[in-house]
Amino acid sequence: MIKTAPSEYRFTAPRKLGAVFGRIRPSGPFLWILPAGLCVLFIFGYSVVDLVQQSFKYQGDWVGFENFLLVLTDPLFRTAITHNFLLLFTVPILTVMSFTCAVLLFETRKGMKFYRSAVFLPYILPIPVIGVVFGQLLQLNGALNSALRAMGFESLALDWLGDPKQALWTMSGIIIWKEVGFGTILILARLISIPLETLEAARIDGAGFFRLHWQVTLPQLRAVILFYIINESIVMVSWVFNYVYVMTNGQGGPGNATVVSELYIYRSAFQNNAPELAATAALLLLLATLVFIIGFFRIQRNMSKGVFDD
Amino acid sequence: MKITGKVIAAGSAVAVLLSTFTLIGASASVDPKKAFPTKPVTLTMWWWGEQEAPGAQAWVDATVAAYKKKRPNVTIKTVLQTTDGLVPGFAAAAAAKSGPDLQYFWGGIYSQQPGWDGQIAPVSDHIPAAELKHYINATTELSFQGKIWTAPWYVNPSFPVLARTDILSKYNLKVPTTWKDLLKVCDVLSKEGVPTLAGGVKDGWFGGWLYSIIGGQSVTNKDVVAAVVGKQKFTDAKHADWWTRLQETKERKCWNSDINSLELYQAQQLWKDGKAAMTVVAGPDAPNFANAVGASKVVVMAMPKWSTGKFAGKMGSTSQTIGITQWSKNKDVAADFIMFGHEKAQLNSWYKLTGSMPADDRFDLNSVKDPVKKALFKSALPGAPYLENFIPAQLDADAVFANVQLVLAGTKTGKAAAADMQAVMERLRKTDRNLVKNFTAWNK
Repeated sequence: MIKTAPSEYRFTAPRKLGAVFGRIRPSGPFLWILPAGLCVLFIFGYSVVDLVQQSFKYQGDWVGFENFLLVLTDPLFRTAITHNFLLLFTVPILTVMSFTCAVLLFETRKGMKFYRSAVFLPYILPIPVIGVVFGQLLQLNGALNSALRAMGFESLALDWLGDPKQALWTMSGIIIWKEVGFGTILILARLISIPLETLEAARIDGAGFFRLHWQVTLPQLRAVILFYIINESIVMVSWVFNYVYVMTNGQGGPGNATVVSELYIYRSAFQNNAPELAATAALLLLLATLVFIIGFFRIQRNMSKGVFDD
Repeated sequence: MKITGKVIAAGSAVAVLLSTFTLIGASASVDPKKAFPTKPVTLTMWWWGEQEAPGAQAWVDATVAAYKKKRPNVTIKTVLQTTDGLVPGFAAAAAAKSGPDLQYFWGGIYSQQPGWDGQIAPVSDHIPAAELKHYINATTELSFQGKIWTAPWYVNPSFPVLARTDILSKYNLKVPTTWKDLLKVCDVLSKEGVPTLAGGVKDGWFGGWLYSIIGGQSVTNKDVVAAVVGKQKFTDAKHADWWTRLQETKERKCWNSDINSLELYQAQQLWKDGKAAMTVVAGPDAPNFANAVGASKVVVMAMPKWSTGKFAGKMGSTSQTIGITQWSKNKDVAADFIMFGHEKAQLNSWYKLTGSMPADDRFDLNSVKDPVKKALFKSALPGAPYLENFIPAQLDADAVFANVQLVLAGTKTGKAAAADMQAVMERLRKTDRNLVKNFTAWNK
């Protein structure tokens, strides 16, 4: 049996415009997106083509895969990629925290607006502000450690950003603090749109708090949580430059403890005058990000099929 | 005898001719008769320096205004750059071949590299040799292929150590002048909970300073360039021993414990606040630091000696510079502005507003009455070569900055740091295919 999408998912052009473009109706959707498509193609397409070209050249001369070999054998690049990979471990933590916060906010009757704003506030703060504030706060003799020492927790007063063993994990904590607001609001928005009857019915059937949200709410949030996971994975692979740059003065230090692939690209291009190596590393990063994007679309398509099948 | 006389005469004539040709050659493309444009001209200058020579902004504003009076058709827009943004900002402008007409550069490699990469025009093509010969350090650091690439602006005695006698005498200590004495001071003060040296390496730059003032004691700039091109190794004793000295300062608790979580300028404040006995500051800013705590309580000196090398106990000297970009449509006007900045009135005004030394031997040192400044300026004439300016900037950042942080964090030994520096250099010779050629030519 051939299954089709419900009528509300099918494209239908407005009648008047449909009459105007009547003869070319099959390609109608493409016409609608053509201006934006051309714009995107020019901005991104040109850059990507240029990036690919540069990665195979050195000062204008064709060098084949030499730049790829140099980048892939660079210990600093491998360190940077490892750090990006380690940052991916924050994604499950972020997801669990966002889901928990969203459910708690959903269940909170009093002061929901205040709590919602409080959770979302870090997300809208500019990263340079966060960098400066945490840079001061987390100094060895900064406010946090002073408070810990005052409370008698001397052993917990660590050099958060100055010790190479701790710096990356401190950075992860700051990223989680900022990004959790986005996940919470995203999940909460979907949570609010779940029909109340569904939740009421589960409650009448005797579902308690945990069972209700684990077995009823969570399955309904599957799509939005998946989107959040993919989005945050992309963030950890290719969007953490700002955090590292502002909190380590563009060094990725101490040593190379917080160097990430974007910082490697930036330093290659703008500090080390090696645009070809920067282009090569950028191309590799783009390919890594594409894996996530393709994965996201495939899962989304499978889920959509499931929805329509149901 | 007659023959000898003729030979001497002929030799002298040849020498005079050669000298004349050399002078003409150096300023071959400078045409003094070239008419100054009368149409409106706008120049943009990206600069840095207020950070290390407070008052520089006031001088730039006043000089631009004075130049406007002299050349009413020329407008100069100035943009102060951040420390972290100076190099990347210019790299982005150079990639787009658009941006400033006049660009600030630190000396040495920071001035050379843009020339090698075709991003700037040699100033010697636009400023006569007779004028350029007065610019301090122009030939030491900035010449390549017979050209001088950027024009020295002000001298940076690099880098003075400031010692507070009030803090040292409180613990019956004298100002240390040798490494052994320094470590003894560290032992005493660390027991009292007072850092001997205040420093901050979070932003990296201080690592380069330490390399120059500790590492520079056992090598010359020729040695360093030899290690860059592969004729020596950074693991050779004379190149590597300074890392062990640095490790000693960590082990003997010479530094403030939060050195890795503070930026350099934040850490220097500890010294001003009387919480540390010694610190290292930028040369142009040293008089300001000394005056802030009372010059009578401060001794300005070079880093205590640990080596018997040629430059041990000497302060380095480098000039911060201004270059003319390759894409500038008004190179001669830009050069004219640079020369205007070296006129007597501007030289005196620079000293008056910043308290630091203009990079011009026509500046009258007798006009300097402050003993701290006088001692500092004299130490820079002629100073030791400033080592950090003779290594590739990437080696500085990837090996020196990074390893200094790790050695001072106590997670890496001096020996391992030297090995890493050598490994980074070897790799750099592969990634920058012109590096050996350029550095070899520069070292001639």
